[in-house]
Amino acid sequence: MDELGPAVAVKGLCKEYGTIKAVQDLDLSIPSGCIYGLIGPNGSGKTTTIKMLMGLVRPTRGTAEMLGHVIPIKGLGLKVSYMPQETALYADLTVSENVQFFSELYGLGPELMRSREEEVLKVVGLSERKDDLVGHLSGGMQHRASLACAMVNDPQLMFLDEPTVGVDPELRAGFWDHFNMLKKEGRTVVLTTHYMDEACRCDVVGMMHKGRLIAEGAPGELLQETGQSNLEDAFLAFIRRCGR
Amino acid sequence: MNVRRTLAITKKVLRSLRHDRRTAGFLVLMPVFMIAIFGFTFGGEVKDVEVYIVNLDQGVGNSSLSDLIIAQLQEDETLDIVEIVTSTSNVSDPASYGREKVEDGDAWACIIFPENFTSDIMAYVVTLGGETSSIDLMLDGSNTNIVQAVTASVQGAVSDALTEDIGFVPPIQVQGEMVYGDGMSFIDTFAPGVISLAVMMVTFMLSIISFIHERTTGTLARLLATPVTEGEIVLGYATAFGLVGLVQSIVVLATALLLFDIQVEGSLLLVLLIIFLLGVGMQGLGFLLSANAKNEFQAIQFIPLILFPSILLSGVFWPIQAVPALLRPVSYFLPLTYAIDAARSTMVRGWGLGEVWLDVLILAVFAMAMLALSVLLMRKR
Ligand SMILES: Nc1ncnc2c1ncn2[C@@H]1O[C@H](COP(=O)(O)OP(=O)(O)OP(=O)(O)O)[C@@H](O)[C@H]1O
Ligand SMILES: [Mg+2]
Repeated sequence: MDELGPAVAVKGLCKEYGTIKAVQDLDLSIPSGCIYGLIGPNGSGKTTTIKMLMGLVRPTRGTAEMLGHVIPIKGLGLKVSYMPQETALYADLTVSENVQFFSELYGLGPELMRSREEEVLKVVGLSERKDDLVGHLSGGMQHRASLACAMVNDPQLMFLDEPTVGVDPELRAGFWDHFNMLKKEGRTVVLTTHYMDEACRCDVVGMMHKGRLIAEGAPGELLQETGQSNLEDAFLAFIRRCGR
Repeated sequence: MNVRRTLAITKKVLRSLRHDRRTAGFLVLMPVFMIAIFGFTFGGEVKDVEVYIVNLDQGVGNSSLSDLIIAQLQEDETLDIVEIVTSTSNVSDPASYGREKVEDGDAWACIIFPENFTSDIMAYVVTLGGETSSIDLMLDGSNTNIVQAVTASVQGAVSDALTEDIGFVPPIQVQGEMVYGDGMSFIDTFAPGVISLAVMMVTFMLSIISFIHERTTGTLARLLATPVTEGEIVLGYATAFGLVGLVQSIVVLATALLLFDIQVEGSLLLVLLIIFLLGVGMQGLGFLLSANAKNEFQAIQFIPLILFPSILLSGVFWPIQAVPALLRPVSYFLPLTYAIDAARSTMVRGWGLGEVWLDVLILAVFAMAMLALSVLLMRKR
C-alpha cells in the first residue's frame, strides 16, 4: 500500500474569499487504497478543499499532488473522478443518457460504456429507472444517479462530496459494501459526510474546523486519544483542545 | 482538442432539445411566425440612399431643365448624390458607368437624363403634343422600400422644378429599370432579414440560458473535472447551436419558398453558411454575457439589450439608410447587420462569395472571436 506513495498530498493549502478563510494551511496525506472521510461542521471547508484538488477553485496559496501529479491537472480524467455536493446532472436527460454522456467524456469505447453503465446502475439501484428523466426522479434517486456518473470511469481515486445524503439506509449499506470492494481493488475513496456512523467506517478520518484540519487518524485512534466513546464527542474535544 | 468529446457535448445539447418537445417546436415555428407577423408591418423612412446621376442633357441655349431637377434632388434628404456625371466628364460611356455603380452595389440607383431632355420638353410645351421626354432610373430592386423612395423622390423633384419654371408639369416618363430584383415583392426583401433575425434570437437566447443553467446547477464544474476541455465544451455547444440555426433556416426558407413563393437568385448554400456563422457567433456572445451573470434573472436581462438594437438597427425591416445617423455606428457593431446584408445580396441580387466575402469574413471573425473569448473566460476561474 505504502510503496504506491500517497494518493493525495496537500501542503499548506489556503483559500480565501475576501475576508473568509475557507481553508487555512491545510496539510493532508491520503494513502492509496483507503477510504478517507473528511468531516466537520457546515462551512468548515470540506467542499472547498475538494474543489481545489479538482482544479475548479484556484488555491490562494499552497500546493497539492494527486497520484504524483501537481494540481491543477487535466488529463488525469480517467483515473480521478468527482461527485459534487449538489446533484449536478442534466435533469432533461434520462439517467442512462447522463451516464453515457459522462462515459463519452471519459473516452470509454462503446462496448466498455455499455458494461460500465450496467454495472454502476446496479450499484446505485437504478437499473429499472434508467430510461426516466433525471428531473422526474426523487431527490435521493437523483443523488444516486450522480454517484453512478462519478463511478462510470472506474477511477483510481474518487472524491465524493456527501455521497450518501438523502439515501435510504438499505442503499447506504449497499454503497458502503461497494466502497469497501473498491478499496480491496486498491482504489482510493475520499468522501465527506455528516453521519458519524459512516465516519467510523472510514480507514482514516480528517476533522476540519474553520478551514483547518484539527485532527486526523483512524476512528479508533481518535476515540482513544480523547477518551471519548463516539466520534462526535471526540470532535468536540479536539475543538476545545485547539481553542486553548 | 478531442473530436469525440466535442461531439459528446453536441449530442448532449441536441438530446436535451429532443426531450423538450415544446422548445424544439418553438425553435422551428418561431421564425415561421415571425415571417408572417412582421412581414406586414413594414415601415420606416428612407434616408441617404446613395445614387449616381448621369446628366447627358444638352439643354436649349443657356437653360437646362435637368439642372433644375438635379438642384431639387440635391435638397432631398432621401438621396445622397455620390457623383454627377455629364458628357463632359472624363468617362467614356456615362450611362454604363452609372449602371456599373449599381451593379457593384456602390449605389442603389442611377438617374439618367437623356441628351434631348430639355429640348424634347420645350418642343412639347410649344406644340402641346408630340413626344415627351423621359428620365431613366436604374434601380437596385433588392430593397422595395428603397425603390419606392427613389422613384418618389425623382417624381417629386420633376414636378417641383417644372412647376416653378414652366408653370405646369408635362407628362415626363420616369422609366425604372431594375438592375437587380426585377419582379421582387415585399417578402423577398425582408425574408433574408427575418431568417437571420430568427436564428440570431434563438441561438443567443438558447446559449445564454443553457450556460447559466450549466453554471448554476453545477454541471459545468462537473464537466471541467472530467477530461473535457473548455475549448471542447465551447465548440461542442457551438456545433449544436449552429446546427439548430441551420435547421431553422432550412424550415423558414422552405416555408417562404412554398407559401410565399420568394425568389432566391443566389446560392442557398451560401445563405446557410452565412446563417451558420451568425448562429455560432451569437452563441459565443450569449456564453460571454451569461458568464457575467450571477443567476438566470440577471442573464435574461441581457436578452433585450442585444435583441432590440438588432431588430431595429440592423436592416431587418427597413434599410440601415433609414437609421438616424446618430445610431448608425451601432448598426455597424451588430453582427446581424452583416448577416442580413450578405443573405439579402445573395438571395435577391444573386451575388456570390466573390461579392459578399467581406460580410462573411466579418461574421467569421466575430464567431471566432466570441468562441475564443468564451474559452479564455472559462479558463480564468
Ligand atoms: N464561491 C464562494 N464565495 C465566497 N465564499 C465561499 C464560496 N465558496 C465557499 N465559500 C465559503 O467558504 C467556507 C467553506 O465552505 P465549504 O463549502 O467548503 O464548506 P463545507 O465544509 O463543504 O460545508 P457543508 O458541510 O455545508 O457542505 C464557507 O464559509 C463558505 O461560505
Ligand atoms: Mg460541502
